[in-house]
Amino acid sequence: MMDRQGRGLSETVWTRLDRKAGAITELTIRQLRNRLSTWVVLAVSFLLLVCLLALFIGGVRDGWEPIDNDNDSHDWDGDGYPAGQEYKYGSDANDPFSFPGSGDFVQEDYFEWGGVGQHSGNHTWRYVTGTFTYNWIENNPIGGDVFLDVSNLDDCPEGEIFDDFWLDWGSGCSLAENSILVHEASFTGNGTFRTQEGFGGVWGYMEDVFYVEPEPASNYIDEDDIDWTGDPNKINGFDDDGDCLRIGWPGDPEPQWWWGGGHDPDGNGNGIDCDVQWILDSDGNVVAIYPDKNVDEDPSEENLAYEDAHRAFIIGTGKIAFVMILGIFLPLFLALGLVRDETENGTLHYLLSKPIHRGEFITYRILGYLIVAGGFVLIMSLFMGLVTASLGPGDSIFRLKDVIVWLGIAFATILALAAYGAIFNTLGLLSARYGVYIALVIGVYEFVMAVLTLGGAELIPVLSVSHWTLQLIDSIVLIVWPNTIEMHLIATAFQLPSGITAFWNPPVHTLGTESPFVSGLLSVIVLMMITSLMILFGQRQFKRREIM
Amino acid sequence: MITDDSNNENLADSESFENQSADTVEPELGQTRMEVAYGAGDGDDDAKAVVARKASMGVLYEQIYRPWNGELGPRWVRNYAIFRHHVYGLFKGTGHRHYNPFVRLSILVIFLTSLTPIAMIFLSVTISGGEGSDWLNRMWGVNRYNLWGQVLGYFPRNLCMWPLLTALVVGGMISDDRKNGTSAIYFSRPVTRFDYTAMKYLSSAVVLGFVIVFSYMLYYTSAIVFNGEGWAYLIDTLPIFLGGLIAGILLVITYTSIGMALSSVSQSRFFAAIGFLAIIFGTKLVALMIELIFETTVFYVLSPYDSLAHFGQWLVGIPANYEHSLALSIISILLYNAASIGLLVTRVRSLEVTRE
Amino acid sequence: MSTKATPAVVIDKCSKWYGQVIGLNEVSLAIDGGVTGILGPNGAGKSTLFKLLMGRLKPSSGNVRLFGVDPWESTAPYRRVGYVAETEKLYDWMTGHDFVSTLARLHGMTREEASDRASHVLEFVGLADVQNKEIGKYSKGMRQRVKIAHALVHDPDLIILDEPLHGCDPIARTSIMSVIRDLGTQGKTVLVSSHILDEIERITEQIVILHNGRLLALGNLHAIRDLLDKHPHRILIRTENPRKLAEYFVPEDPVYGVRFAEEGALEVLTNDLSAAHSVLPRVIVESGLKITSIENPDDNLEALLGYLVGGSS
Repeated sequence: MMDRQGRGLSETVWTRLDRKAGAITELTIRQLRNRLSTWVVLAVSFLLLVCLLALFIGGVRDGWEPIDNDNDSHDWDGDGYPAGQEYKYGSDANDPFSFPGSGDFVQEDYFEWGGVGQHSGNHTWRYVTGTFTYNWIENNPIGGDVFLDVSNLDDCPEGEIFDDFWLDWGSGCSLAENSILVHEASFTGNGTFRTQEGFGGVWGYMEDVFYVEPEPASNYIDEDDIDWTGDPNKINGFDDDGDCLRIGWPGDPEPQWWWGGGHDPDGNGNGIDCDVQWILDSDGNVVAIYPDKNVDEDPSEENLAYEDAHRAFIIGTGKIAFVMILGIFLPLFLALGLVRDETENGTLHYLLSKPIHRGEFITYRILGYLIVAGGFVLIMSLFMGLVTASLGPGDSIFRLKDVIVWLGIAFATILALAAYGAIFNTLGLLSARYGVYIALVIGVYEFVMAVLTLGGAELIPVLSVSHWTLQLIDSIVLIVWPNTIEMHLIATAFQLPSGITAFWNPPVHTLGTESPFVSGLLSVIVLMMITSLMILFGQRQFKRREIM
Repeated sequence: MITDDSNNENLADSESFENQSADTVEPELGQTRMEVAYGAGDGDDDAKAVVARKASMGVLYEQIYRPWNGELGPRWVRNYAIFRHHVYGLFKGTGHRHYNPFVRLSILVIFLTSLTPIAMIFLSVTISGGEGSDWLNRMWGVNRYNLWGQVLGYFPRNLCMWPLLTALVVGGMISDDRKNGTSAIYFSRPVTRFDYTAMKYLSSAVVLGFVIVFSYMLYYTSAIVFNGEGWAYLIDTLPIFLGGLIAGILLVITYTSIGMALSSVSQSRFFAAIGFLAIIFGTKLVALMIELIFETTVFYVLSPYDSLAHFGQWLVGIPANYEHSLALSIISILLYNAASIGLLVTRVRSLEVTRE
Repeated sequence: MSTKATPAVVIDKCSKWYGQVIGLNEVSLAIDGGVTGILGPNGAGKSTLFKLLMGRLKPSSGNVRLFGVDPWESTAPYRRVGYVAETEKLYDWMTGHDFVSTLARLHGMTREEASDRASHVLEFVGLADVQNKEIGKYSKGMRQRVKIAHALVHDPDLIILDEPLHGCDPIARTSIMSVIRDLGTQGKTVLVSSHILDEIERITEQIVILHNGRLLALGNLHAIRDLLDKHPHRILIRTENPRKLAEYFVPEDPVYGVRFAEEGALEVLTNDLSAAHSVLPRVIVESGLKITSIENPDDNLEALLGYLVGGSS
């Protein structure tokens, strides 16, 4: 059978349909390409992603500072000993007079506040203000900088203290030989102290004083790594730094109060002191972690934090830059006018006078927009993937799984682009007058829902595209990196600072199976359903629309 | 040479204004066609050619446009007319700049939502005493945090309300003129481009200010009135209030500047509106992400909202959420305004008086 | 499907309301073959008629059939229809060739086929030398012709042109008219709308007159004119002495009256315009008067419509 123009049997309805689809899709792409705003929007998006990458590369090059997850390496009170060492010796980490070997101050008597007091003897004087005339003074007291540095005093200026000059708290000056003027300072010496009018102070002696070498702060960083045998029946978790077991600690152990405060070596209540209880499901996946306090609380970053930060960057960029910014704003910029602009300009008449169904027309228009926007997203995600896969932590030269996650992010974003494109396009068709405004409001709504979803809300944002897209990313991440959930649990259980807990939540809509495949599939189905329902609705509207 | 139908029609037009007995009556030289046709203007009461009649021969009139010698209204009167045109459209359907009913509705809803604290204070007064009242007063009563939050709080005000409001109001201010060529209506009159831009800017700022700043003032005033506060209270809280007021005005100015700049670069009001939302939301979100991953807040200077919030926190006297220096945020606000106004000025300067 | 079996265009008691306003009122038409001019002043319903034919609008009552198919329900007849819309907007960033070939592909042609057809049809409308220039740089006449080209690219049997001469200069007009006449001689069905009688007269003799949504007349222009001859016609003669001239006209047979409408002019009233014109030279010579001009004020669409509307009421 040959028709007039001699087309053969090979020319079926389908091949002709393809040609029409190709023509409209191509026209749409060329139209978008010829609009300046498209290029502006894509260029701005590109810049945004490049800036993020630059930050990422900068972060990798600088390396990571070892993180002191349990905050015990810092000398909070300034007495020269890190907090961890003070805990060990039972001294108060927030009191500069209390430190390992500082002994105990035994108070003998005090100066009354308000008047002028005077006392003589060989004492340790604390927080006194006035003049001290001595025949002996301790030049190197134990306790470092909490005591006045007697050997290094300036001469006092002329005049009366507080009238003519001022001394800082805890400092003093030299009045004459063997005579000093101090303000709220502490020292040990033999002589006569006369207080300034209106100031008090105490004196006494120190007992049990001995010298302990201060440990370097680095001893208390990354000092208690996570010890996981992989078998929940063995004893897991080892208190490497001994701050849970506290065996052989010189200081008095913190008492355990009846209301549960203080130190409890068996906080998880499994009968084993200072261990970590790992709960696995039947498939061998970690589902919960219950550590005793101070066990495995300061792990080395090599194992966890680098990987955590790396994944957090990928997930965060994927969710925020790709889904929330590109995913919502690209359709607003590019898809709103797909059919609406043609109607407004009247150029629609050329296209509709051809033997093409109006419904097909809408579909192919959206397809054209998707090729532009989706192509951009895909290229950008591959680009990001190549960079992060090459620079990420770990032994492998190229982290292939990074690229897979990036492709997953691109897939999720493209599904969102399709859904938003269909919604916005249908709104433009529905009402030329209000459609665009409603689209703007929907854009803001979707944005808010995405923020809520990031915050962990499970129920309210279900009525939004962004929620399902973000959950799809959560699912893909879990499928590609099954131990993400473990990292999430570890970060939560050991209270480690973690980007994953900020950007990633275990997928919630798993229909009770806890399987990321189910939630991923469900998200894909929901997104595709929204897209096709919107397109169908738009087609219905457009088919019945009279075009002036 | 007349060769064509359409030109013939034109000729017929000019003939129809001609007096049929042109040779007996003095030709009305120096009078415009308008005056002959409609009898408008002085001294034409004896002109007879009002009814169109078929002409036997053609007469070409010399076209001399008499300049108008009346006195121009002062500049501010003309400018006020432009301003009025843009603001009254919110309330009147016709005769002024058209605001889409949806935009009007949104402005109303946003304005009412921004007034909810007043209702809450009122509620706390009416159920005075008891824990409920205390709680309401703590949540919505006047304090530093609430005064700051009334203009600069992120959720819901700067997430859902102010950016959307700005996008809807400012989006079409200049882009519509560019699209329809209506700027020619202004520029063919004694209105300078500066006046044109300034009045458009002012009218947008006034609409935004009405919702954002006025609701803030109303909130403070009603809190004083409902609670029956005295002078001492006023003296205590006035500096905080003024701090928040300045922050609110700055927010209105900054948002208007950015919105107007976007409106002037585009021919589509929606491009400007979406662009504005993208800038406000995008910068904030990216900075938030960088803070979470890289633990630095300095990228918040990219976000106009956060720079304003930072400065506002200082003005109102609450601890800053940001680690970077306040100076950076102030510079950011200034730069955003300067760049936007610079863009606006260059775009308006090069605005074609014809439809683009 | 054979063209002979069903007429290209059948409109059966078709009406279209826009809310309270009537666009087309109980119009019935069948058109097949040759060039047909659709005449009518602005708002007469020409564009409404075309939009009904092209499935843009749904008739409020009655039926529209293009090659026997309802165009509102199916796009199938567009395979054989070319439509030149009245819209002025085009894709300014495309070249003429691009524009035509892209639209040709919507007929299911391959890229190459479309490109060949586009070149061919652009040559036919006289745009071969500018086909690779952007449409944005085209003159108004070129734009109209590129619109016609896209409608012809698939070699349609029916071509609908909505105001194709609108806003063109005389040269463009002439060339577009000749394109339309050529199409008619190729045996295609062509519908052209216009509000200027003179334009249509130069293209075709077959006309449809619409007014206020009603079908006023249908058929050969001259036949319609002759039908109208039973209505009084006026001949306006300008002379220095109209009363004297009137004496010579009154006895003539086709003339049934004279009138002195204005100073220096005589209006001769007749029922048979051609007979009146045939006696006119003789009478003037007999009178020996100096005549400034002779006019037929009724020989335009408005007058024609005036008579038609007046006659029906």
